[in-house]
Amino acid sequence: MDFDLTELQILLLNSAEKFLEKEVKNLIREIEKSDSGYSPELWRKMAELGWLGIVFPEKYGGIEGDFTDLVLLVEEMGKALFPGPFAATLISGLAILEYGKEIQKDQFLPDLIAGNSLIASALLLPDPAMGAITMDEKIVIKDDHFIISGTRLFVPFAHVADWLLYSADTDQGPVILLIDNKTPGITTTCMDSIGANKPCEIILEDVVVPISSLLGEMGQGTRIVNKLQSWGALTESAYITGMLEQVVKMTVEYAKEREQFEKKIGTFQAIQHKCSDMITDVDQSKLLTYEAAWKLSHKMPATIDISMAKSWASDASRRVSFMGVMLHGGNGVSEEYDMQLYFRRAKSSEVTFGDGDFHREIIAQELGLQG
Amino acid sequence: MDFSFSPQEEQFRQRVIDFFQANIELGNGAKKEWSSGMGYGPNCWEILSKIGEKGWLCPTWPKQYGGQELSYMYRYIVMEQMHFFLNIYSTVGAGMAGPVILSHGSQEQKDRFLLPIANGEIEFALGYSESQAGSDLAALAIKVDDKEDHFLINGSKLFNTRAHYAQYHWLGARTAMTKPKFKGISLFIVDLKTPGITISPIWTVGGTRTNEIFYDNVKVPKDAIVGEMNRGFYYILEALDYERISTVGGLKRDFDELLEYVKKTGKDKNALIRQKLACLATEIESARLFALRVAWMLNRDQIPNYEAAMLKMLVSEIEQKMLNTSMQIFGAYCQLQKGSKWSQLEGSFERSYRDSLENMITRGTSEIMRNVIAQRGLGLPRG
Repeated sequence: MDFDLTELQILLLNSAEKFLEKEVKNLIREIEKSDSGYSPELWRKMAELGWLGIVFPEKYGGIEGDFTDLVLLVEEMGKALFPGPFAATLISGLAILEYGKEIQKDQFLPDLIAGNSLIASALLLPDPAMGAITMDEKIVIKDDHFIISGTRLFVPFAHVADWLLYSADTDQGPVILLIDNKTPGITTTCMDSIGANKPCEIILEDVVVPISSLLGEMGQGTRIVNKLQSWGALTESAYITGMLEQVVKMTVEYAKEREQFEKKIGTFQAIQHKCSDMITDVDQSKLLTYEAAWKLSHKMPATIDISMAKSWASDASRRVSFMGVMLHGGNGVSEEYDMQLYFRRAKSSEVTFGDGDFHREIIAQELGLQG
Repeated sequence: MDFSFSPQEEQFRQRVIDFFQANIELGNGAKKEWSSGMGYGPNCWEILSKIGEKGWLCPTWPKQYGGQELSYMYRYIVMEQMHFFLNIYSTVGAGMAGPVILSHGSQEQKDRFLLPIANGEIEFALGYSESQAGSDLAALAIKVDDKEDHFLINGSKLFNTRAHYAQYHWLGARTAMTKPKFKGISLFIVDLKTPGITISPIWTVGGTRTNEIFYDNVKVPKDAIVGEMNRGFYYILEALDYERISTVGGLKRDFDELLEYVKKTGKDKNALIRQKLACLATEIESARLFALRVAWMLNRDQIPNYEAAMLKMLVSEIEQKMLNTSMQIFGAYCQLQKGSKWSQLEGSFERSYRDSLENMITRGTSEIMRNVIAQRGLGLPRG
């Protein structure tokens, strides 16, 4: 049993804290107003720090860390509301590492790790009940090409991504394709979101890609999607944990300063007990996330653990950020205070890679409960 | 980070489980006695002495006093399995009185009490609460007069569970009128058979017996005092630091029973029920991690404070929530008590539902735990 970080992890976090304080503080406000929502310069600096290679083998330029290292780093990013597709790109890279052919690994991983290439996963089909679908879903294999039409939603940062990991169902089973985002026939629309996390709609119309775009084998698509989902859920849990730690910190600092009725409001038990509930919620989220990451790092089954982490983090995200706003009173709803930034992003993170209900259904199945 | 037991700890854990499985009938008998609300019966005493024989009741203690000189993680492992198999996860002697005697008691007290505690032969009733001293423990008023060759005690105690079968009272009493109040409290070990002591039962909503204890001119010998005069409140707080491990062993057992019930009755077709059970499983796992964190801190001589408060609050509140959920799942049948042919799972959850209230009160209410988390954990100022 060991709840401590390793020396290397402490070093990583110290440098992350400094870097994020210097480079990322308030960036979210700028980026929210910009079209790209992402800073190539920042990306290059992160590559220099080795962050983009944190979970990859040395031979591709990585530093061979594990999921615990990744989760710790993403947690730090959450504290700073780091904007940009960091985790999204890394999990795409992990899919290539685990399922790609040697030639694909050589083609994609060094570029990704050097910060020259963003890869976004395009997995979610639109729900016809939620709006009209203008592009019929189609994928045909002709000669040595795939011809693809379809719509994918909530593709993170697709408007600046170089490559897409695109999932589709063929008559030979589900597949994942690595598609050059500059291929003719792709239309990308970046949607305004509560969380400034730049979810995109992409529409593919008769997009032609070579057969070599296939990641892994024909029919492996669902398995790869599931992997991407669980890595995504885990990293999102870590991001939420970091965000909420910051929310608690800001709230406690505020409660120690703010005076009403000639007293610091932090002396009131009504405030203290809410703060206690907030930090308990966050600690639960944190330990569940760490345990899931530890299991993944040791190649143990972690489906239930990841869903426990994300279901808890998702709901804590809503509860804790809401309470943070409440305890800030009028300042909590003011644009000038940072609290509203966290409150908004908390909602996006809550529903990204599955909300609480979604993951509880997975937990129920893992417990042997039959729907 | 590492969330697993070491190979040695894992081996030990297996040995503990094997022990309880080999003594399963005795253990079930003990659990039944305990769950009747009457506390220790003959089966409890017998299994405690068997655990004591192994040196597992106080595994962290020196060998001369019946311990094994093992680290706290081993104590956690025993407690978790005791909780699972017996519902009793520690004795008051092993968890609170013993450690204080070990660090502040006289040599005579050590020689007299420690071995019997470690052997599971004696038990202490905590003598802290009074009618006017609950969360504000320093307000306790039971009065001790120093009469040169003995102490004379007068007053009363409330909610002193275990007094009807424990041999000794672990008594917090007022030895001086001071300001602040906590500086005039001392700790005593009193033989509960001493003339002048009357123990009268009080029944909880959960059907558990606790007691009101009256001291009417009770004479106790001078060597009954533990440590220094007027330092009792510090020892009481210190003892709380020793006894901060909670486990989810019992909670997990009951949850698994509920899970099986839901599967067997086909109630898992209901998505609402699946959601609730999945949420509980998540909460129980988070509480288990909190418990391990506290054990790990103790293991490396760190004093957990807000972490322990969080654990205590969480375990008792999740227990209540689990029982509440089971009641919802049983629907109208939940109200039926043991004995009715329509009661579910022999009405055991009905009884536990009532009994679980107590855990949120005893050893510090959830509200007090929230104060501790806010003030010690987050550094919020006292009002």
